[in-house]
Amino acid sequence: MSRIGVWGVLATLALVLLGGFLGFVWLPQSQDPSLSPFAAWCSALGVPRTWLASASIRPEVPTSEVLLTHELLGVQDDSDRGHGATLALRCSMCHGPTGISYADSPNLAGQYAAVIYKQLHDYRSGARSSPIMTPMARTLSDLEMRQLSAYYAGLSKPAGSTLIGNAPAIIRWGAPMRNVAPCGSCHGDIDHTMASPWLKGEPQNYLRAQLMAFASGARTNDINGQMRAMVQGMTPAEIEAAARYYAGDAK
Amino acid sequence: MFNARRLILAHFWIAIAAFLGALILGEWQMIVRSPLHAWVDNPEHYYRSLTAHGSAMGYVFPTLIAMGFGYAISVSALKRNLLGLRWAWVALALVVVGALAAMITVGLGRASVLYTFYPPLVGHAFYYLGIVLVVVGSWVWVVLLSLNLRAWRKEHPGVKVPLAMFANVAGAYLWAWTAVGAALEILLQILPVAFGWKTTIDAGLARVLFSWTLHAIVYFWLMPAYIAYYTIVPRAIGGRLYSDTMARFSFALFLVFAMPIGVHHLFADPMVGSGIKVMHTIFTGMVAVPTFLTVFTICASVELAARMRGGRGIIGWLGALPWKNPAMLAVAFSFVMLGLGGAGGLINMSYQLDSTVHNTQWITGHFHLIFAGAIVIMYFVIAYDLWPQLTGRALQSLSLMRLQLWLWFLGMMILTLPWHLSGLLGMPRRMAYFDYTHVATSPYAWTVIVSVLGGAMVLISGVLFVAILAKGHRTERVGVEPYRFSVALHEHATAPRALNGFAVWIALMVALTLVNYGFPIWQLSRIESTSVPAIYVGGDQ
Amino acid sequence: MTDHASRSPDAEAIASQFELGWGVLVGVIIALLLGMIVFTAVHWSSMPPSRVEVVEASTLHRTGEFVQDNLGTAVDATGRIVVRMLAAQYAFRPSCVVVPEGVPVTFRATSSDVVHGFQILGTNVNSMVVPGYVSTFEMTLHGVGERAMPCHEFCGVGHASMWARVRVLPWSKFQALSRAKRRTSCV
Repeated sequence: MSRIGVWGVLATLALVLLGGFLGFVWLPQSQDPSLSPFAAWCSALGVPRTWLASASIRPEVPTSEVLLTHELLGVQDDSDRGHGATLALRCSMCHGPTGISYADSPNLAGQYAAVIYKQLHDYRSGARSSPIMTPMARTLSDLEMRQLSAYYAGLSKPAGSTLIGNAPAIIRWGAPMRNVAPCGSCHGDIDHTMASPWLKGEPQNYLRAQLMAFASGARTNDINGQMRAMVQGMTPAEIEAAARYYAGDAK
Repeated sequence: MFNARRLILAHFWIAIAAFLGALILGEWQMIVRSPLHAWVDNPEHYYRSLTAHGSAMGYVFPTLIAMGFGYAISVSALKRNLLGLRWAWVALALVVVGALAAMITVGLGRASVLYTFYPPLVGHAFYYLGIVLVVVGSWVWVVLLSLNLRAWRKEHPGVKVPLAMFANVAGAYLWAWTAVGAALEILLQILPVAFGWKTTIDAGLARVLFSWTLHAIVYFWLMPAYIAYYTIVPRAIGGRLYSDTMARFSFALFLVFAMPIGVHHLFADPMVGSGIKVMHTIFTGMVAVPTFLTVFTICASVELAARMRGGRGIIGWLGALPWKNPAMLAVAFSFVMLGLGGAGGLINMSYQLDSTVHNTQWITGHFHLIFAGAIVIMYFVIAYDLWPQLTGRALQSLSLMRLQLWLWFLGMMILTLPWHLSGLLGMPRRMAYFDYTHVATSPYAWTVIVSVLGGAMVLISGVLFVAILAKGHRTERVGVEPYRFSVALHEHATAPRALNGFAVWIALMVALTLVNYGFPIWQLSRIESTSVPAIYVGGDQ
Repeated sequence: MTDHASRSPDAEAIASQFELGWGVLVGVIIALLLGMIVFTAVHWSSMPPSRVEVVEASTLHRTGEFVQDNLGTAVDATGRIVVRMLAAQYAFRPSCVVVPEGVPVTFRATSSDVVHGFQILGTNVNSMVVPGYVSTFEMTLHGVGERAMPCHEFCGVGHASMWARVRVLPWSKFQALSRAKRRTSCV
C-alpha cells in the first residue's frame, strides 16, 4: 500500500478513536456522572433502557380495550356475513332492516367493519356507555361481534358524494392554529385512517350529539383521546357545519 | 463521443424532461402555500405534488445526468468506444420504466409519502418498485464504468488514470454503496408491507437505513458538478488546473467520508444513541475537507487563467477573466452559492445549532440553495459544454446562455435566502397551507412571497435552458474537435498508487460504515416491540 | 505561463507548499468547529440525550406512561417537572401544554401511529417523535407567554393543521395550578 494509503488508514483510525472517546466516554460521563463507564458506553451506543417510566399506570377513565392492528378482524368470509345477518335481526329495530335507521340511531350499512367491531367491544367493556347498547353488547361474544361487523360492512352505504369541492372549511382544512385536523383527513374525503368511521349519511342529530359528548368528555372511548382533542378545539358553529355536511341529504 | 453519442443525448433529454416537469410543480407548490393564493382545495394534492417533485428532482433527474455525463467522460477520457453499449441502453430503459411507474403511481394519488418515504406511512408498491428500478439501472451504469476502466487499464498498465475518469468512477462506487441503505429499507421493510405480506414496520430502523443513503446521495448529485469544476472549467476559461494530485485526493476523501455520516440527519431522533451521533458529527466535519480543498484548487486555477490573460494586482486579475464565457459566469455563481450553502451545512452539522433549525424551512432553503443552486448550475454548464459534441452543431446563443445563468443565479438567491430566514423564524416544513393571520405565522408571510418571485425567475430560466438546447439541434453543422479536459499546471506521467486506484478508499468507506452504522442497525433490527402497524395512504383500507 | 516555468521543480514545490498550508488551515477550521460543538455540549449540557427508550405503540392508551390521564405536566416526587405528550394523526395531546418559566423541564413524547416532530417556536425545543420510541430531553424555557408548537415532520395529509400551544407561566402561577391537579394542561 502506498504512503498516502497508509496515512489515510491511520488518520481514519485516529478519528474513530477520537470520536469513540468523545462520544462514548467523555460526553456521556459529563452529562450524567453517576453512570458507570460500562453503563455510559451502552447508553451512548443506544442500547435501550428505561427511565422515568415508573410503574405501569392504568387509566382512571374507562378507555377502549381494542388494539388497533391490521389483524384486528382476522379473515372474514361469507359464512361470517351470513351469521351476522341472523344476529342483525335484533338490531334492525333501531338500525333499520337494511342498516339504515329511521330514527337518530346511526346508520350501520357500509360502515367499516373495524369501526363496528370496536364500538361493540367498547360498549361491552364499558369504555362507551349507552342504556340501550350496553346490555345488547353484553350478550355478544367476540366472534359474534366480528360476524355482525362483517355483515354490516358488506351492505351498501347510504347515498352521499365524496367530492370535497363543496365541503365547509372544517372538513377540508380543519382549524390549524387550534390543533383541529380536517375531518376529511381521517374520515374519508381526503384520506382515511384505521377505525375512523365513515360519516356520510349519518343522522345530523346523532353526529351533533356525539361531537358534543366528545367535547364535554362524556364519551371517552376514542383511542388516546383523539376525538376529544379535536372537538375541544372546534367552535359550536364548526360542530354544526360538520354535522350538517356529513348528514347531507339524510335528515 | 465515439459510439455513445445518442446514448448520452437520450440521458440528457429524459433528465431535462423530468427536470422541467418537476420545476413547474415546484413553483406551483410555492404559490399555493403562499399568502398569494387561497388554501389548496385538497391538501392531498399538495403532498402528491411534493412527492412527485422530490422524486423527480432527487431520484430521476440527477441520476440521469450523472449517468449520461459518466458515459461521456468514459469515452472521452479513455478515448475508446463504450464497452457494453447495449447494457447501457438496458440501464436507461430500467430508469425510464422505473421513473414512469413511480410517477404514474404518485400522480394517481396512491403514494403521497414524499420522496423520503417515511414509514409507517406506506404507499402503493409500484412507487417503491419504480424507485428500485431506477436504482438498479444506475447500478448497471456503475458496473459498466468499472468494466470500461478495467479494460483501459489492461491496455495501459501503470499509466495514470485520467482525472475525469478517476473522479467519475469514484463517484460511481460511492453511489453504489450509498444506495444500499435505501435499498435495504425498501426491499426488506417497505415492500413486504406494501404488498401486504407484513403489516408492521419499525420506523426507527427504517429512518436509520434511509439516513445511510440520504447524505451521500447529495454527493452523488454533486460529483458531476465537481468534475466539471476540475476538468471543464479551467479548460473552458483558457487556464490550467492548479493541481491534479489535490484533485484526486479530494475525490478519494469524498469516497471515504461522504457516506458514513448520515446520522446527522437523525440528531433529533430518539432511536440512535448519543455516542453514534457524536461519531457522525466528527466524520461530517471531515467531509467538509474535500470541499474546502476544491474551493482552493479551483480558485487558484481561475486566478491562473486570469494571470495567463494578463491580469495583474491582488484582486485586479478578476477583471481579466473571460466573463462573457458562460462557464466563467457559472462557476462564479456556483461558488457564491456553494459558499453560502456550505456555511449552512456547517451549521446543520452542529447538534446545538441544528436544534434551532431542524425540520424548519431553513433545511429546505439550504438544500435548494446548494443542490438546485450551486450544483444544478454546473449541470447547465456540462450540458452546454457537451452539446456541440453530442449534436455535431455549434451552440450559438452565448448571450442567451448568459441570461439563462443570470436568471438562475438571481432566482435561486431570491428564492432561497428568504427561505432560510423563514426557517429561522420557525416556519415548519411540509405544510400545505398556513394561517398567515395568526401571530405566530404572520412573520413568515413576506419571506414566502419573495420566494415565489425567485421561483418564477428560476422557472423562466429552466424553460430558457430547454429552449437553448433544443435550438442547438437545429443550427448548422460544424466539425467538432475531440473533446478535451483541462490540463494540470504540473503534469506528471504517473500518480501515486493510492490516487490511481480505489481499493484503499473503498475499504475505508466500508469499514467506517461498519463502525458508524453496524451497531445501530443490528440492534434496531433485533427489537420486536418497536414494529408498529403500517398506515396505508391513498386508498381505501 | 511558459513551459519552462511549469517544468521548474521550484514552481511545483511552491505550489505544493501553498496547498499544504491551505490544508492545515482547513484542518484548523474544522477542529475549531468540532471543538465548539464539544465545548457547548459539555459546558451547557446541550447534547443529544444519551438514552434510547422503547415503548409499545399499539397499547399506549391501555397501559403505561402515556395513557390519557397521565399526559400533561406533572411534578414528580423528587420535584422534577415532567411534560408527557402524545402525538398522533393529527393532534398533540395535550393540545395546550403548561410549563413553568426558568426551571428545567423534562419533556417526554411518543407517537401512537406515524413519525411526527415538534418545535416550540421561539425556543430551542426541537425533537422528532417516532412510534415505538420515547423522545426525552430537558430544557429550560424563558419568557412568560404563549408559544406555538407545530408538528414539523410530514405525518400525513392533515399535517398542516397540527399546531399545539405551549403556555409558559410564572413559577408561582404554575405551582398553584400543579397543586390543584395531578396533571395540568391548558386545554
